[in-house]
This record gives sequence, C-alpha cells and structure tokens, in this order.
Amino acid sequence: MRPNSGAGRRYLALGASGIVALSLAACGGDDPETPGTGETEGGGTATGELVFAGSAEPVVIDGAWVSDGESIRVIRQIFEGLVTTEAGGTDIQPALATEWTTTDDGLEWTFSLQDGVTFHDDTPFNAEAVCFNFDRWYNFEGPIAQSASSSYYYQTVFGGFAENDAAYAESLGESLYESCEATDDTTAVITLTRPSSTFLTALSLPAFSIASPTALEEFGADDVGGDGEAPTFDGTYGYEHPTGTGPYAFTEWERGVRVVLTANADYWGENQPSVETLIFVAIADGPARRTALETGEIDGYDLVDPADATALEDAGFTLLQRPAFNVGYIGFNSSIPPLDNPDVRKAVAYAVNKENLLSTKYPEGAQVATQFQPPELFGWSDSVEEYAYDPAMAEQLLADSGVANPTIEFWYPTDVSRPYMPDPEGNFELIKADLEAVGFTVNSQSAPWNPDYLAANQAGTQQMYLLGWTGDFGDPDNFIGTFFQTQQAQWGFNEPEIFDALDAAEAETDEDTRVGLYAEINQMIMEFVPGVPYVHTQPAIAFRAGIDGYEPSPVNNEDFALVTVTE
Amino acid sequence: MSLSEAEARVDTAVAAEDVGGSLLKEAWRRLRRDPVAITGGAMVALFVLVAVIGPWIAPYGPSDRAGAVTPTMIPGPSSQFWFGLDDLGRDELSRVILGARQSLLVGVVSLVLGMIGGLTLGVLAGALGGWVDSLIMRIIDIVLAVPGLLFAIGVAATLGRSLQSVMIAIAVVNVPIFARLLRGQMLSQREADYVSAATSVGLRRRVVVFRHILPNSISPVIVQGTLTLATAIIDAAGLAFLGLGGTDPSVPEWGRMLADSQDYLSGAIHLAIFPGLAIVFAALGFTLFGERLREALDPKYRR
Repeated sequence: MRPNSGAGRRYLALGASGIVALSLAACGGDDPETPGTGETEGGGTATGELVFAGSAEPVVIDGAWVSDGESIRVIRQIFEGLVTTEAGGTDIQPALATEWTTTDDGLEWTFSLQDGVTFHDDTPFNAEAVCFNFDRWYNFEGPIAQSASSSYYYQTVFGGFAENDAAYAESLGESLYESCEATDDTTAVITLTRPSSTFLTALSLPAFSIASPTALEEFGADDVGGDGEAPTFDGTYGYEHPTGTGPYAFTEWERGVRVVLTANADYWGENQPSVETLIFVAIADGPARRTALETGEIDGYDLVDPADATALEDAGFTLLQRPAFNVGYIGFNSSIPPLDNPDVRKAVAYAVNKENLLSTKYPEGAQVATQFQPPELFGWSDSVEEYAYDPAMAEQLLADSGVANPTIEFWYPTDVSRPYMPDPEGNFELIKADLEAVGFTVNSQSAPWNPDYLAANQAGTQQMYLLGWTGDFGDPDNFIGTFFQTQQAQWGFNEPEIFDALDAAEAETDEDTRVGLYAEINQMIMEFVPGVPYVHTQPAIAFRAGIDGYEPSPVNNEDFALVTVTE
Repeated sequence: MSLSEAEARVDTAVAAEDVGGSLLKEAWRRLRRDPVAITGGAMVALFVLVAVIGPWIAPYGPSDRAGAVTPTMIPGPSSQFWFGLDDLGRDELSRVILGARQSLLVGVVSLVLGMIGGLTLGVLAGALGGWVDSLIMRIIDIVLAVPGLLFAIGVAATLGRSLQSVMIAIAVVNVPIFARLLRGQMLSQREADYVSAATSVGLRRRVVVFRHILPNSISPVIVQGTLTLATAIIDAAGLAFLGLGGTDPSVPEWGRMLADSQDYLSGAIHLAIFPGLAIVFAALGFTLFGERLREALDPKYRR
C-alpha cells in the first residue's frame, strides 16, 4: 500500500469531525428502534450495527482512483474483483470469476464468471461488465487521470494506458493490457501484450474490482479535475453512488462524519453479512480512538498503539494481529556523499541496534528485518548479509572508508503513525544515538508526513530517512520490485544489474524459478545496502468483547461480512 | 553615532545608578525580610544553577540508554532511577536536569529580545509623542488584541521549526507589553515637576529623556521582566508541546517531553509528572519573586 494516502491531507480536519461522528453514531446505537429498521427493508437476516474507526476518511469510494488503506477498507465491503485473497492469507481464490485458464504463452486469460450475480443497482453482472471495467481503466486519459496520485495501482500493474499522456512519457510505457472480449455472458477473455507473473495476483487488488457500468456512466465516475498532484473527483459516483456486487451496499457518506453501508440482502456469495448496518468513522488521533472504544462509542478500531495493547487486553477487549506483511527501513539516497561510499552505508547498517529498537518501540510479534521483504513471502533469502549489531565493525568500516567526520542529514516524519513505525520520532532518536556512538555526526531534520515529508522523499532531497511499506498482494515484485526495479530519486542509485534482474524475475512465469531469482536479488540488494531494513511488524486491531469472526489479513483484505455482533 | 549620543549613553548609565540606587537598596532591604520573596528567589537560583551546571550533575547523557523498556513496560521512579526511565530507556532525571538549560536559554533570550524591542518602541512613543506615538500604539493595540500564545504559534510556524524561531516568536509577543508599560511610565513622568524644571533650565529633550525620565520609569520594567520570564518559560514549553520546538528531538525540552508522554499516560504517568513539575517550579519561582519585587519597588506598598 502506498504510504502517501491522499486522505492524510485532511488529517487534522478529520480529527474533530470524527468526534462529531462518534457522538452521532453513539446516539444511533442507543436508539432502541435501530435494529428493527433493517428487517422491514429487505429479506436479509442481518441485524444490528457496527461502528468501526480508522484514522482517516476515504479519499473517494472508487477503487480505480485510490491507493490508501482507509478508502480500501470501505471499498472491500462494497466491491469484489475477479479474484480475491484467502481470508487471513495471500493465496489467490475465486471471487467473481469461478475459474480461469491461460494459454501457454501467458498472453490470453480466459475467466469463467459467476452466474446470476447482480450489482446493487440491479444491473446484471456479466462478461460485458467485466470488459467495461477493464476498458475504463485502460482508457483513462489526460494528465490528471494518468497521474500516480489517481490511477496508481493500474499504472504499477499495467504500466501504461491506451494513449499515454505526454506529461508521463518517461514513466509510462506500453500497457500490459491489450483487450477484453466477452465471448458469452459468463466468459471474459483478456489479452495481454506480454506475459506477466503478477497479473492474476494483482487482480485481487481493490483497484481492479468490478463496478456497475450503469452507475459508472450515469454518475460521472471518470470526471476528474484539480491537478496531477491533488486530483479531485467531480462526478457524484465515488461519493454518492459507488455500486458493486459485494456483501454490503453503499447507503450514505456524510462527508467528514461517517460512511454508512447496509447489508446486501441479495448477496450471491457464501459469507452472508450478519450485521445489518456498518458505519465507518475517522478518528485521526490514536489515543482518541482508544478512548472511543473504551467508552463504547465505537465497536472496534484499526492502528492500535503498541503502548495500549496490554491495557486493552487486560480490560477485556479483543486484540487481533495482522500477519507481518510490511517492512520498516532506513532509506539512503546513495547519490549524496558520504552515502555514495559502500563502507559508510555498511557502517550505518552495523551501527543500528535493531534488537533494542524493536524491544523498546514495537509490540510483541515484531521481527528484525534482514531484507526488504517479509519472510512470509516467497523469494525471502536466509543467506543475505545480515549486518547484526556490531558497533566495533561500524567504527572499523568508517575508518576504512577514509571519510573524515562523516556527517549525515537524517529525516523523520512528524504527525504520523504507521504500522511499521508507530513512533517515528522515537525510532529516530534511538537510531541517531546509535550512529553518534560510532562516530557519525547526525543533523536532525523533520517534516509533516503529508505532503511535505513524502514530497521531499520522492524528490530525492533526503539523504537518510525513515520509511516503510505495507504489501498489497503476495508477490515480491510488490516489495523489492516497487523499490528497486527502476532508478528512483529517493534511492539515488543506478545499478542496472539489480534493475535487470528484477525485470527478468517479473517476466518469468514459472513460480519455482521466480523463488530462486528473488532470493538471489535479495542477496544482491543487501550486498549493495541501499538502506537498512529493520522491522516487520504485526499491526493490531481492537474490538470490544462480543465482536467475533473478524479475520485480520496481511494485505488488509478484511471482510466485515464474516463479523458477528453479540451485545 | 554622534558624540553627543555617546555621551548621553554614558550619562544614562551613570544616572540610572544614581537615581535608582537608593530605590534598589531600599527594595533589596525589604526583599530580604520577605519569606515569599526568599522562597521565590531560591527557586530561581536553583533553576539557574541546574541550568548552568546540568551536564556535570546529570547521572546520564541526554541520549544514553540507561535501562531496558518496552512499549508497555516503562519503569517508574526507583532508587536507581529517581524519576524513572523514559519511553526510549533513557534516565528521566537526567533529561529533566538537562532540559533546564534549554528552558532558561529560551526564556532569557526571548525576554532580552522582547525588552529591547519593547523599550525602543516605548521610548520612541513616550518621548516623541504626536503621530509617532499614535502609530506605534495603534500597532501595539492590534498585536495585543491577538492572544499571546496564538500569536507566538503563528510566528513560530511561519519562521519554521527551530529554536531561534521559538525565541523570536516569544520575543515578538513580549514587545508590546514592554512598549506599553514604558510609554505609560514615561507619560506620567513627563508631566512631573522635575521634568519641567529640567526643561526650563534649557536641557535638550534627548538629555531630559535619557537622563531623567527613563531612569525613573525603568523599575516597573524590571519587575515585568521577571514576571515575563515565567510566561516565557511556559510559552516555550507550550510551543515545544505543539511540535514547534527545536529540530533535534534528542535535545531534552520540557514541553516536548510532556507532549511525548501523552501516549504513555496510562502506563507511565511519571513521564508527564516530572517535566510538568519542572515547568511549574521554574515558572512559580519567577512569579513569586517578581510579584514581591514589584511590591518592594512600588512606593504604595511601603510599610
């Protein structure tokens, strides 16, 4: 998942509005009539309501335009894709497609579709609807729709559009997607321009969920405005009429207050929703989320502060942990001296006491990272150079490097807490102390996370920085491919050997061969030391007692239809 | 600088000693007998002492790892660590001690800057009168209409995150206070008989202002300075609390320590208590001392 969620820009405003939302939601919950209203509306058996708090509002409820977790959480309930990930894992399972086959050259994919499914607006789901959606993404045009701030996931997976805008001539290439044909109502054939090992896995992303063609057209889903940096969505689709096939249907979005979803009584799938009304609110402040849970204003929340974990469990709340599917790292811009010197980079790697950092600042379950991808994912190598804490070695390397008075500008973000970095300032202070102990001079630099910090990072002006990544789907390409497949300003290095190896591994379609290729690449990367990965964490979610069935997912594919509520 | 201006400065210094001498002596005599003033003075002295010799008496360095902590287990006060450990395993006592210097530095520098600005404007307004006075005072009224801390936040945020911008922000807030105080004093002195006498014997206005009016107007400014130090320390802590302190988080600042403690209130309340007490201690010392100094210098309180 991309770290720069557009939602963060409204971070402060939402803090206050989230509180308002809570008081409103709480009033609703106390109303004895609420559970009854559901039964009169549809034939479903779902009852009751559940209020869940994230840290920000969705940006827009349309998978094609978002890359942040808060939008995706809501989108996952309303929409489905052709395939999905298993509950609690990363294996690919059928969703709207029941089965699929591919030709030997890997270019033609035939998807058999679920029969008898309708969208929430009663538009039938069929092969034409599937092709409509693929053609929609492929034909996004103009500098706003094609900017990385809007159609990010489409670009990372498909690489280009029907007509690439001149503004992105450098970054966009030939599209992986060529065409889609509805051979009959329940068969869609998708043709690619080249084989891709990540195509099917990537289709589990909410960015590629299938939306009702009727609603997309009627409510102007493709009307974008603003600019490439900060796109705006001018149609009402993503705010008032998101229409999918999922277990929950969109009811209303009181902007700045809450998003309300209602159980889809005609849901086709196996997991019928048992909670009638699902309400998402935004509470930006971590301690405020905890207080809201403790006072009963919400039923659960995401991004539990590690410091609160024990207290919440002792008080009878349920704490669930997502499998570690992220990495927190110290990034280097290897083009800025003295970090252009491999000995200096390795000195940093040896100087940082990762075990101490993890035990001090992370909840139980956090693992020391040795490379830029979690061990759960294939391609992880057990024979990379590990740079275990060794200050003497760091001092030796610094002496050998010939750099006198090594001085580093070290950046950390403020106003943010990420799963891989609950307290960036704390991490910063510990790492800084470690570096100073072996003879570095560290200049402290900080900036608010969004947009200043991330913008400076992408522009490559930060010499050394704290950052991390949460995986979107179960493929190493989504980790090391994202970081190192091309020359990027924030890393600042140009190592064609690494770039080419990653290109080859992505194009390879044999799974077993890929495992070996990625393991080798991980070793190459850690030999170069473009940064110091130090942690994989298990982010926690909290619920009040009586909420059951929630299945934490490494890729945040969490289905509220599985959740049951008892008072 | 012309020769006469230089002379005037030397004269001013001499005059201040002459005229203020007996007054200060009298004030000092009364302060020594006042237990509240002595308490306040002792608190101020201790604060300044700790700020100066802090690095030598702190058991640990500001970034030293003194013991092991986890997010849910941060040891409180013990015989080994009197104030407990902080969230990164550092000695809280050492950080509170080392934070004193930062507070004193910000307090004193912002006070001095504020005084210089305020006195300049106040003297200009009070001595020149007329449209200069009106212009300066209207601007000052406008600035005073904005709540002090809010104004300081605005200034500090505009200047960017650094210790210097905090000092400037607090100084800017103090400028109008001193300017108005001094101008008021000078206006009341201007009508005094001795001023008329000095003017009537043909002394130039500059000489009258610097040699006679200013020295007689300055004592409330000294009192205000002491009291302002207290608010400057609180303001500095407030700005640091709001994330507008220095850029290096490993330099201990009481306000920032207080802000960082928020995430650990349930498990490690000592992280909020000790920096909080330190701020209270320093501010209270200056307030007690300043209030009693005001009374000692004010003829109305003479017993």
